Amino acid sequence: MRKMRSSYLGVLVLIGVMVGVPFVLGFNDYYLYVATLVVLYTTMVVAWNIIGGLAGQFDLAAVAYQALGGFITGLLLLWYGVTPWAGMFVGAIGAVLLALFIGFPTFRYGVKDVWYALATFAIVFILQKLFLVWEAVGGPVERRFPDVGWSWYYLSFTHFYPYFYLILAVFAAALIVNIRVRYSKIGYYLMAIRENEEAAAMLGVDVRKYKLFALIIYAFIVGITGGIFVSIVRYIHPSLFDSWFSLQTAVVGIVGGLGSTVGPPMTGLILFTVSEYLRGTLGGVTIFGETIFGLQQILYAIVVILVVVFKPFGLGPVFDSAIQWISTSLKLKRQPGTTRPTTGDNAESSARSREVNEA
Amino acid sequence: MDIMVLAQAIAFGLLNGGVYALAASGLALVFGALNIANFAHGDFIMLGMYATFVVSSLLSVDPVVSILFTVPIFFILGVMVYLGTLHRIMKAPVLSQVAVTIAVLVLLRNVALTVWGGQPKAVSYTMFSGLVDVGGVSLPLSRLASAILSIIALVALELFLKKTRFGIAIRACADDQEATSLMGVNTKWLYSTTFGLGIALTAVAAALIMTFQEVNPLSGVLYGLLAWVIIALSGTSEVKGVLAAATILAIAESLGMFFWDPRGRDLIVYGIFVLILMVRPTGLFGGKS
Repeated sequence: MRKMRSSYLGVLVLIGVMVGVPFVLGFNDYYLYVATLVVLYTTMVVAWNIIGGLAGQFDLAAVAYQALGGFITGLLLLWYGVTPWAGMFVGAIGAVLLALFIGFPTFRYGVKDVWYALATFAIVFILQKLFLVWEAVGGPVERRFPDVGWSWYYLSFTHFYPYFYLILAVFAAALIVNIRVRYSKIGYYLMAIRENEEAAAMLGVDVRKYKLFALIIYAFIVGITGGIFVSIVRYIHPSLFDSWFSLQTAVVGIVGGLGSTVGPPMTGLILFTVSEYLRGTLGGVTIFGETIFGLQQILYAIVVILVVVFKPFGLGPVFDSAIQWISTSLKLKRQPGTTRPTTGDNAESSARSREVNEA
Repeated sequence: MDIMVLAQAIAFGLLNGGVYALAASGLALVFGALNIANFAHGDFIMLGMYATFVVSSLLSVDPVVSILFTVPIFFILGVMVYLGTLHRIMKAPVLSQVAVTIAVLVLLRNVALTVWGGQPKAVSYTMFSGLVDVGGVSLPLSRLASAILSIIALVALELFLKKTRFGIAIRACADDQEATSLMGVNTKWLYSTTFGLGIALTAVAAALIMTFQEVNPLSGVLYGLLAWVIIALSGTSEVKGVLAAATILAIAESLGMFFWDPRGRDLIVYGIFVLILMVRPTGLFGGKS
């Protein structure tokens, strides 16, 4: 319970700091655009943490939910003039329906581990092709949103800071949902499923029901980010189903530490910021008169490999102990002689690593 | 339905089946024996295609001859990748291994993009050009030759796995990793060479694919997923099962492209994949898992 309260405090501090980001960046539109994307990608990672981190299902359909949410938002706007404010929720519900369509049969037939990952990854390609071939809703020509200038109704802004605050609100909501699930009964069920599905089922956990529950929450949040994403880029096209974003979300989720409430958001914010910074500086470097692409992704890949090789359990425990260290040293100043007992994530993860070492 | 068109479609499928099986065999070896889900498999094929391109255009030799150079290089590359990354985390959660192979995928793809750029590359010369007429069905010679060479390579792999001590150790490992190490097999050495062998096989497949296709940095996704679909369909990492599954898949793909819509290729392949996972998760030829 105390762990949960201190997590909420952490969210409050983090969001409080991030509210100030546009001021630090001097409302520069390019920087704010990048910051918006960083927060958007991190929101996807936080949502993924529920299905991938807590429930241990290696889902690679993130971009399918996102792009479907975006497509529904966009088509509602283009065909019926529905405001994206409503459209994004309809889109998120569409993403949830897709999640049910994927999750119900896969969990029913016990598709697990690498096969679940590949099945969900295949869904991305299937949907991309489907939207490309099905010209009534997609087709090869991108559908642009009407240019309406600054309009709250059309969620169209000439500056980027409203988008930033919008996605920041979604990010905060995703963090709170993540913490609530993590420290609820369902969270413990999900972690039991992650560690050993058969054992969890034997102890009376309805495995299918809770996996589906985690999948629905994840798909809903990611669907919402899709609606916001198309409102920013202001077009829809089958290329929104870019399988790279699925991989990126899952990899950062793992690097952040499975099931940790602190690791994935912090890792996401740091790694995506670095990645976008490198894209700006190394994205297209000219050497010997030739422009070279892809250097920043090479660096990014090397960083991920190094982190996983040296910290196979992710950065979650690292952030946890850092926070613990800060809070103990703060407390020590106030009340000399009292130290905080080790609780929660730390004890758990060390127990897990012990288990693995023995195996 | 024209019977000749049907024959043509099936012939194309049969020819592709051999190459697809070879492309999947390296993954089958690594996944079957080491239980490593290598997501970067397709990107090793992509890199192999570029390596074939470089060797055959530098030395002006046929892509098939370039195998002599690319296979040893890829074997060493595979051993290095295994020892450098995967071996250190063999006892870590499976998801960490997957994360590493995905990072390797990103690395390979962007190395290719950095070195060769985004424009597709193709070999300028192959000794197998032209068409052959087999009973009224005309087939490109390059496809026929690569199918035959694939079958030869697969037979060699099968003999290697069945007849040599090393092959028997790999198969024992697929059966039971712990028991194999108890029998006195040096598993670190065995794992790294098996991984190297799996990667070397991708270089062979890549050279044969290069005889009839061009390559770009994104080619890997296609072949990687294809290899996984074949393994899911076969349900076993045995060479025979992989070959049968690859042939079935290639014929289905070819029929779909001839009679429905060439753009629908992915829908057919991945549709079969999702269907087989739901209906028969153990695959067509796999026993009880």
